[in-house]
Amino acid sequence: MTEASIALPPQTPFSQRIKKSLFATPLDCLLTLICAFFFTYIIYLFVDWAFLSSIWRADDEPLCKEAGGACWSVIDARHRIIFFGLFPFEEHWRSTLACAVMIVTFIASCVPWFWTTMKLSALWIAGFATFYILMHGGLFGLSVITPERWGGLALTLFIFAAVSIIGMPLSIVLALGRRSKLPVIAKMFGLFIDFFRSLPLLTILFTAAVITPFVLPGWLQGDKLYRVIVGFAIFFAAYQAENIRAGLQAIPSGQDEAGLTLGLNYMQRVTRIQLPQAFRNSLPAVVNQFVITFKETSIVTIVGFFEILASGSAAFGTGQWTVHYIEVYVFIGAIYFVFVFSLSRYGAYLERKLRVGHG
Amino acid sequence: MADQSEPNVIAVTMKAVNKWYDDFHVLKDIDFQVADGEKVVVCGPSGSGKSTLIRCICKLEDHQKGTINVLGTELNDNVANIDEIRREVGMVFQQFNLFPHMTVLENCTLALTLVRKKSRKEAEAIAMQFLEKVRIPEQSTKYPGELSGGQQQRVAIARSLCMNPKILLFDEPTSALDPEMISEVLDVMVALAEEGMTMVCVTHEMGFARRVADRVIFMDAGEIVEQNTPFEFFENPTNERTKLFLSQILQH
Ligand SMILES: Nc1ncnc2c1ncn2[C@@H]1O[C@H](COP(=O)(O)OP(=O)(O)OP(=O)(O)O)[C@@H](O)[C@H]1O
Ligand SMILES: [Mg+2]
Repeated sequence: MTEASIALPPQTPFSQRIKKSLFATPLDCLLTLICAFFFTYIIYLFVDWAFLSSIWRADDEPLCKEAGGACWSVIDARHRIIFFGLFPFEEHWRSTLACAVMIVTFIASCVPWFWTTMKLSALWIAGFATFYILMHGGLFGLSVITPERWGGLALTLFIFAAVSIIGMPLSIVLALGRRSKLPVIAKMFGLFIDFFRSLPLLTILFTAAVITPFVLPGWLQGDKLYRVIVGFAIFFAAYQAENIRAGLQAIPSGQDEAGLTLGLNYMQRVTRIQLPQAFRNSLPAVVNQFVITFKETSIVTIVGFFEILASGSAAFGTGQWTVHYIEVYVFIGAIYFVFVFSLSRYGAYLERKLRVGHG
Repeated sequence: MADQSEPNVIAVTMKAVNKWYDDFHVLKDIDFQVADGEKVVVCGPSGSGKSTLIRCICKLEDHQKGTINVLGTELNDNVANIDEIRREVGMVFQQFNLFPHMTVLENCTLALTLVRKKSRKEAEAIAMQFLEKVRIPEQSTKYPGELSGGQQQRVAIARSLCMNPKILLFDEPTSALDPEMISEVLDVMVALAEEGMTMVCVTHEMGFARRVADRVIFMDAGEIVEQNTPFEFFENPTNERTKLFLSQILQH
């Protein structure tokens, strides 16, 4: 060890840095104070509304008007509709367990130990199978509940997971296909990607839900939910493929040549050399696409599915609750936030982890 | 496959090889042979086709006319042939081309496990043996980005050696290096040459050429203009273009 590597670079103390960046001149002081006051006030208003002047229990709803704060009674009274949609009341425990299974599967697949094709496949097959048995039933004495009656959080998570799991491998195939050395193949994949990218998601979902039954033979149709998921996944893959292709494009050609001269075949070069580097290069965009997709799952309402946002609308849709839509939307917003924020933080963690050795 | 014990077995033969990039004629009627155990240095001005020539030997580039025979196997469109040749011919690049997402050790063991089907343990033992040979075993757990250029190039050489190649190709292995790192790489190459490795080396390191080359080849505008022993090549160049080139690079 040299001395230079032991000695730390000189650091300005925190208080001095604050002083320099926020209170350097009288004008700076003034601006800082005004902003600080403004933000504190906004935060106070929110905390007051959400916690201090709010009403929590369903039975206390009549007090809401007077209290002036949030009326969380609506959540207390109607949270089951938000979480479970039209799922039969006595079977809500199944939907709860199914959500838990999905979340555990998500978290597990974020752990590097699972990052082999075998383990990931096994994990997701097990995850989906358990989810399906719980939600659909028909096995182990569980009553059958068809997908039209699935709803709420479980449906949102299911659609997101299925779209990601079908879409991700598809996007890799599309990205590699578009970079094929054979012009015919490259053109075909390019056309496919650009075609689906230039259609609105809504059109694709409508086509999948409403029009394909007229075109496809009966045995190929499957349930409406599955058709919608496949359509969604193709849309997702078309976008994700372009992100991954950008990542592949950024790899110097020497990397592949080094693989070639070591005798690695195409699959080995793709899986060991190209894709790991492509993912590192395109990680922010790839994560962003997942975030967008999570939020876009709410579009499936249009073709008649009660995912969490639609279930929320149903929750304040009757009688005394109609005035409390803000609370419901804030609540659903918080749920989205938990998932999307975790996803972004995980993305940031991955970026740090993959930067190892790249200075 | 060439038998090691017979003297003067041919490792590489190029006959009337022509190559075009679109309508740009890069290689013109190249006739070129490398004997087993021979060390050939290729030099010439920038853009003369040196890289293209050695990249054709490991089929990183296709040629359009003529025949290339490596270790008794003809390079044509037969994929099995190409795979076999690539496993026996190693290449060291100007830009090192180490895999940045793998440690030094993983760079070396990758092909051993995937292509040579060694167990992880065997592969690591072999890799460590060659990392010791290039004198950086202590860096094995680092990533390429954490090493100096000279160290990276030595790792790249070790990575090629792990595959136990019969021929090693070098494309300007020292031109991307700072001057003080050139000799550590050249030392490794000299040691390899002394062990009898068959080497084709594009380089402008004339000291290296004098010391280890059996033959120096001079290329210009896609042709082999002159080839001779290092002594004759440097002392009595016959072609005007060779003389001009030598006067230019020997000035510095
Ligand atoms: N992929 C390519 N497409 C078109 N032209 C190319 C390509 N690769 C090389 N060339 C051209 O072919 C000629 C020979 O290139 P090559 O890389 O073999 O030269 P070189 O002798 O190795 O030069 P240098 O000393 O600069 O490395 C150059 O004029 C170059 O511009
Ligand atoms: Mg070159």
